Amino acid sequence: MDIKDSYELPLPKERIWAALNDEEFLKKSIPWCEKLERRSETELAAEVKLKIGPMSTRFTGSITLSDIDPPNGYTITGSGKGGIAGAASGSAKVKLVEAKDTSSTTLSYEVSAQVKGKIAQLGSRLIQSTAKKLSQNFFGSFVKQLEDMDKPQ
Amino acid sequence: MYSTKYVKPNSTTEALEAIKSLSEGKFLAGGMTLIPTLKQRLASPDGLVDISGCKLDSIADEGETLKIGAMARHISVAESAVVKMAIPALAKLADGIGDRQVRNRGTLGGSVANNDPSACYPSAVLALKATVHTSNRSLAADDFFTGMFETALEEDEIIESISFLKPTKANYVKFPNPASRYAMVGVFVAQFGDEVRVAVTGAGEGGVFRHQEMESALSSNFSADSLSSVNIVSDGLISDLHASAEYRANLIKEMTKRAVA
Repeated sequence: MDIKDSYELPLPKERIWAALNDEEFLKKSIPWCEKLERRSETELAAEVKLKIGPMSTRFTGSITLSDIDPPNGYTITGSGKGGIAGAASGSAKVKLVEAKDTSSTTLSYEVSAQVKGKIAQLGSRLIQSTAKKLSQNFFGSFVKQLEDMDKPQ
Repeated sequence: MYSTKYVKPNSTTEALEAIKSLSEGKFLAGGMTLIPTLKQRLASPDGLVDISGCKLDSIADEGETLKIGAMARHISVAESAVVKMAIPALAKLADGIGDRQVRNRGTLGGSVANNDPSACYPSAVLALKATVHTSNRSLAADDFFTGMFETALEEDEIIESISFLKPTKANYVKFPNPASRYAMVGVFVAQFGDEVRVAVTGAGEGGVFRHQEMESALSSNFSADSLSSVNIVSDGLISDLHASAEYRANLIKEMTKRAVA
């Protein structure tokens, strides 16, 4: 499992770092997130309804932030149980690198994901593609939200 | 255990009403994907609307097109004299789906609506410039498939039939997974006069797709030799325990060569 990508944003690093730590921002970015509540500085409770093809499973679990290095990046890890369907977890190493002239910042991420139980048996041939798609959804909508906010009114 | 409702309406109008009365209802066609999913508890809809009673299984030659009802079983398409005469490659494709049990139950509409990235039918729909007729509109194949397991269909929309444009010639060749017979790579090539369309299934992370480079190579020279110089990139191809993306890239070219040979 090796999913990587990066985005260049015309924003200062601090702005993006603030968004990465804003649960409202994260909630809107996590695909099919139904609930996200902050438990502590580094932990959030989450409920996600994942729909892939014929499968439709509600995962309840947590999102934790670790390796926190403000404002350069962190590791965001989500893990959840989907009842009888199994369990899924994934983590993304997020890095922010500002350009020398501070006019833009590059957000890069590296994802690893694991699934267990029935969902793994049935979906094994699709795990890589699904993890990639979910990562693109998450970072894609995160970046889009930032860009939209930055548009002149 | 959990309870779920089962209804079997006699028309698509009734089926659409039935789905509206459910909060998370699902249409049931042949059930070859949905039923195993339910058995595994990977989905738990509050109701199933079986559309097998909606009279959607006709097969008709309409001159320039071949119109097949969404509930036509794979076996019916494979054995239909009308299909064999109009588009033999389509009958061949249907005859190679899954095993006998799956072919007896599985349907054209179910396969296309599910848009499994390894299903055979979506490649035929895309290569044969098909039009998907739903309960409220008609969609061109190029606009229908939108990603892995994703289509332009709304939750409360039913495919009623699909019209395939008759090609000058066409062929479908797949490299089946030996256990499931799903396409590890399947290629549908269709020639319409000077135009050639090549649709690839089983390989793309975003589901079925057309291969432009091979299409233009085959448009200028419809032969296996013309494909030798085409470079198939492995970016965006599925990599799983059955085959790497690079292996699939090689299979795409090989299957296409066999299809035009």
